[in-house]
Amino acid sequence: MITIYTTPTCVYCKKAKEFFTKNNVEYKETNVLEDLEARKAMVDKSGQLGVPVIDVDGEIVIGFNEGKLRELLRI
Amino acid sequence: MYDLIIIGGGPAASAAGVYAARKKIKTLLVAESFGGQSIVSQDIQNWIGTPSISGYDLAQSFETHLRAQEDIEIETGELIKTVSKEGDVFVAMTEGGKRYETKTVLITTGGRRRKLGVKGEKEFDGKGVAYCSICDAPLFGGKVVAVVGGGNAGLEAVIDLLPYATKIYLLQRSGALKGDAVTQERIMQDPKVEVIFNATTLEIIGDSFVNELVYVDTTTNGFDKLTTRETHHLDVQGVFIEIGSLPNSELVKDVAATTPYGEIEVDVYGKTSMQGIWAAGDVTNLKYKQNNIAAGDAIRAVLNIYDYLMYNK
Repeated sequence: MITIYTTPTCVYCKKAKEFFTKNNVEYKETNVLEDLEARKAMVDKSGQLGVPVIDVDGEIVIGFNEGKLRELLRI
Repeated sequence: MYDLIIIGGGPAASAAGVYAARKKIKTLLVAESFGGQSIVSQDIQNWIGTPSISGYDLAQSFETHLRAQEDIEIETGELIKTVSKEGDVFVAMTEGGKRYETKTVLITTGGRRRKLGVKGEKEFDGKGVAYCSICDAPLFGGKVVAVVGGGNAGLEAVIDLLPYATKIYLLQRSGALKGDAVTQERIMQDPKVEVIFNATTLEIIGDSFVNELVYVDTTTNGFDKLTTRETHHLDVQGVFIEIGSLPNSELVKDVAATTPYGEIEVDVYGKTSMQGIWAAGDVTNLKYKQNNIAAGDAIRAVLNIYDYLMYNK
């Protein structure tokens, strides 16, 4: 299960979502600008107040790191 | 074996890739990701031929243009760690240990954010300290923030923060802002913004998140040129650091000459001190770091590489 925490203006979030789409990876997007509970969950999980935060089956990836995502997703 | 490996994913790399493909040079382009540093810009108004475009859209258009070429191989998500010479061949090694061989190399790796290097900066990275205002500004709704740096990037950060933060301090080390006059005017009109000149940031303080920034006032007294060096504290929950960039030149540090700032030294064609390696864009020692310039310089380098490959067939 992949969750990506985003803000609407975040370009690296867009890059990450594009990468998922291109590689047929399903993901759930949570907009932490509006969803304050999700924002808290993101901060608790990652210790980060910055987006994107990507949760890949419990592994937290901070920022858009294509190499790291490829490794975790084996693609 | 490639004729050319282009390393990077910004405007210089994209322009070089398009030209290399059209010249049918056997080329591999390796990019960690596409876009370059201006991808985070909300609105770019100086990309020639385009009155206004977001950094993200400009990055998309570079990638689309590049991928429209038939004769180019592209690898993304790969970071080239080193470029070395083995006999007549250059070897580019990725972080993950992949190896590529080539006759020539074009380094268009650009720059990365310069860090302040003060206490607390690293500790609170992502915990109030931020380097991408367009990404993270929405998370600072109702908060008081500081932006460090009065160049274009700093001014843009202020603009990104205006819809969210309740108060924005803009700290500039010198006595004047450096960014474009048009943007300066826009932020100066906003009562939320307070510009603090001659402010050198000393420390970022917090518990689990940032709650304070300490700076020293270096204003000199006009009469005896003395400064009180008074220390000031700002109650802020965010610190956006926008103080320029450093060249990503480490990959060639053992094969090509660099300046004390780490910029790769190039001649007018983009040739480095190592025959067979060219560089273009923000990673070089040429003055004025701009998208248009990076693209143009990279094209000139590719045309020069084409001549070199023809001559050395």
